[in-house]
Amino acid sequence: MAGSGKAHLRPTDDRVLVVEDLTVEFRISRDKIVKAVSGVSLDLVRGETLAIVGESGCGKSTLGKAVLQIPKPTSGSVNFLGKELTELKGDTLRDMRPAMQMIFQDPISSLDPRLTVSETLAEPLRVWNKGTETEIQAKIDDLLVNVNLDPSVVRDRRSYEFSGGQCQRISIARALALEPTMIICDEPVSALDVSVQAQILNLLQDMKDRYGLTLIFISHDLAVVKAVSTRVMVMYLGKVCEVADPDSVYQRTRHHYTKALVGSVPIPDPTRKPTGNLIQGEPPSPMNPPSGCRFRTRCAAASEQCAAEEPQLREVAPGHFVACHHPIEV
Amino acid sequence: MSETISTADSADTGPLAPAAKRKRPVGFYLAGSWLGSIVLLGLFGALLPLRQWDLASYDYLGALPGTPGHPLGTTQDGYDMLSGLINGARISIFVSFFAVLFGGGIGALIGITSAYFRGKYDLIVVSIFNIMLSIPNLVLSLALLSTLAYSSPDKPATLQRRLIILILSLTIVIIPILGRIARASALQWSSRDFVVASKSMGTRNFTIIRRHILPNVAPAILAIGFLAIGSVIIVEGSLSILGIGVPGGASWGSMLANGRGNIAFSPHEVYMPAICIALTVISSNWFGDYVRSRLDLREAKI
Amino acid sequence: MTNLLEIEDLSVGFRTPRGNLQAVRNATLTLAPGESIGIVGESGSGKTVLSRAVMGLLPSTATRTGSIVYQGREISDLPRDEVRDLWGTGMAMIFQDPMTALNPTRRIGSQLSESLVVRLKMDKGAARQKSVELLRRVRIPDPEGMLRKFPYQLSGGMRQRIMIAIAVSCGPELLFADEPTTALDVTVQAQVLELLDELRAENNTAMVLVTHDLGVVAGHTDKIAVMYAGDVVEYAPTKRLYASMKMPYTEALLNSIPRLETPTGSRLPVIEGRLPDPTKEVAGCAFADRCPYVSEKCRAEKPPLMDAGDGHLYRCWFPIGGVN
Repeated sequence: MAGSGKAHLRPTDDRVLVVEDLTVEFRISRDKIVKAVSGVSLDLVRGETLAIVGESGCGKSTLGKAVLQIPKPTSGSVNFLGKELTELKGDTLRDMRPAMQMIFQDPISSLDPRLTVSETLAEPLRVWNKGTETEIQAKIDDLLVNVNLDPSVVRDRRSYEFSGGQCQRISIARALALEPTMIICDEPVSALDVSVQAQILNLLQDMKDRYGLTLIFISHDLAVVKAVSTRVMVMYLGKVCEVADPDSVYQRTRHHYTKALVGSVPIPDPTRKPTGNLIQGEPPSPMNPPSGCRFRTRCAAASEQCAAEEPQLREVAPGHFVACHHPIEV
Repeated sequence: MSETISTADSADTGPLAPAAKRKRPVGFYLAGSWLGSIVLLGLFGALLPLRQWDLASYDYLGALPGTPGHPLGTTQDGYDMLSGLINGARISIFVSFFAVLFGGGIGALIGITSAYFRGKYDLIVVSIFNIMLSIPNLVLSLALLSTLAYSSPDKPATLQRRLIILILSLTIVIIPILGRIARASALQWSSRDFVVASKSMGTRNFTIIRRHILPNVAPAILAIGFLAIGSVIIVEGSLSILGIGVPGGASWGSMLANGRGNIAFSPHEVYMPAICIALTVISSNWFGDYVRSRLDLREAKI
Repeated sequence: MTNLLEIEDLSVGFRTPRGNLQAVRNATLTLAPGESIGIVGESGSGKTVLSRAVMGLLPSTATRTGSIVYQGREISDLPRDEVRDLWGTGMAMIFQDPMTALNPTRRIGSQLSESLVVRLKMDKGAARQKSVELLRRVRIPDPEGMLRKFPYQLSGGMRQRIMIAIAVSCGPELLFADEPTTALDVTVQAQVLELLDELRAENNTAMVLVTHDLGVVAGHTDKIAVMYAGDVVEYAPTKRLYASMKMPYTEALLNSIPRLETPTGSRLPVIEGRLPDPTKEVAGCAFADRCPYVSEKCRAEKPPLMDAGDGHLYRCWFPIGGVN
């Protein structure tokens, strides 16, 4: 699985982001290169939430950062609001930054421990000269109220005085400060308690509606993205496996890897046993990925064809794309 | 993880939070008061009604401590020990403070920028630091001093010039030591998500360094800076003993060097400056350690 | 059948500058040999403190009352080093973050054989052989090669397997797992939980599984204690708990789990508000402010632990489904 291809791209005018053949490589020593992302294409229509799902090391976070050009991808194209970001440099790239923001997994690491909440939120506004000091302070109060924090209580506190969920609210407020078009959420709830996860997911939904945002939601947990996403893209070892709307991904799963992800979600019901379709072991090293389909080493349906030939993404049902030589029949 | 993150209301009293505020150790007060009095004496010692340190009194050659008019005795050449030590404090503290200040400042600047920008610049900085660190402090400053402070026999360098050159060469010794600490710490902070967030907001690199990296790295540099003051005093003393530090018994080290030959007749000439050096080094180490442990505690809480 | 572990009326508090922080209040739990119990709650509910208290791992600022009986022996008053003697062969622990629990400077092999040599008095060769066998049992490919590796060379899932291998190396009777899968991917989480079940079945090992996720404990425990603000608020056999939960809090916790069945674009049910300040005593039910079914009585009077039959205890004036 884990193939290339652009069959899933939608050539409409309403696209905020078009990524084509994006590759990110890291050189870790003279002759060792990690291919974190290999030729991934995706597009994002205004107002949608694209979930990118996969295990750690599949390149999903690297992909998110490469879209923001932090660091610049090794090759491929990232077209955001009609501008080719990979060709922009210095101030022209900087001018694009307010429109695309990011929220991170680790609530503690996301905030500078030395800054108070109001200083944290003032930073983007000051960098872009968004009004006078009084206007900036009013805007900060506004943002805090929007993410359900009481400005009079939290303004002058520092990050270590807050719970993980509250830190995540502050991060969301910071990302919203510049009124971006797109926010990339990198595992925003996986470090939080289950009871807090739901609060943050709902908040993201509310903010999306209020600010008219387009979201990329990166997660390792299919259940988490189910409620919030409008399109799901499953990644494995730097490649795309399956792209579809969330209901199709869960109910008419076509890819063997997606099937394993679905089977891994814990079921809060002792009478229902897990599907027993667990994959064993861990993904191979991205330094020398398997030939052909990258998932074949852990795939029950792997054949000789899978080793010889890399599967391309193809449409198996309207809007449902899969990169597999032997997709699951539904 | 989940237990350490609690709600704001209970954040400072979370289930496993440390209890009462820690008491400062006695050593902190002892070290602090010694360093404090040395600095005060160095700054205002000249105002005290004492003999001039470089004015020999030929009535008292090698007087023992407790002699009237010379509470700490005199040297074999008739110089007053107490005023000599006070003047020495001024020179020693002056030299080590400025050497650490300049060395720390430049080192931090190089270390932080190289950690932040990485790439070839970082590679070059690290190699230079490593080469400099592989040469023992004393040998490096000796080499620097003997090239920089060259004075022809008929035109000896003035004390002022010698001091500036001494500070300069000690600064060069300090740069890689503190630079490497700054780099290591900055490396850690640069990978935090809030730095990436700041970049993605379009904040300029030097603003990020000034607002986010420097304030977080500063405590580590400060703590090590205190330790460095101690070692610089020792290096300065050793250089004086070798005869290329501050000349004429002006610093503690050079008092030690001058008194070396008289150890049999007036041992106090040697052990008084030696005790001063030792106490100052111990105190600054202690102080630096304390500063660091305080900051570690803060970090642990974060 | 005698119980392996009996906790009775256990209370743990901490002296803090803001006054006494009551982390656990009058907890009473029992655990039979081979049984597994899930302790579930949000951050700050006292679940971790409770499990640390049993292992004798409380900091010196803690005050503790009540009794902890392990294998018929009162261990709450034992000096620390005697409790420590129970570890390895009696009790063992698996931590949330295996990276901090493993020594970064020593090879896996030497960390694994350490307790075998110290506790079981094995010689080096036997310990090595046993280590390989243990690694094979936790399904690590190429166990011989693994012995020579350092922790930093391994993924989070691999490290957690190593931790498990170390924990079960001396055949403990009681295994503490404190959020063992929270730092892991869902795929690895499922593997690790299944592995724990298998190992426990082989050796009849009892387990205390501490977690914030009711989804994780459902398929892997025999009974569950739900904690809220230091109290055990519901305590029941797992199947019974999920079939007929009594506490509104447990219900809310269960509903907040994201599921594959959740319709796209829908709002997830949440528990509004937050835990009460643990340094203040609450007059009524601690959950009252967040409870959808709250009434006058809840704020005035703290509900006692009530029995719904079949070992199902709960702490609520107006339980779901009514009183029995």
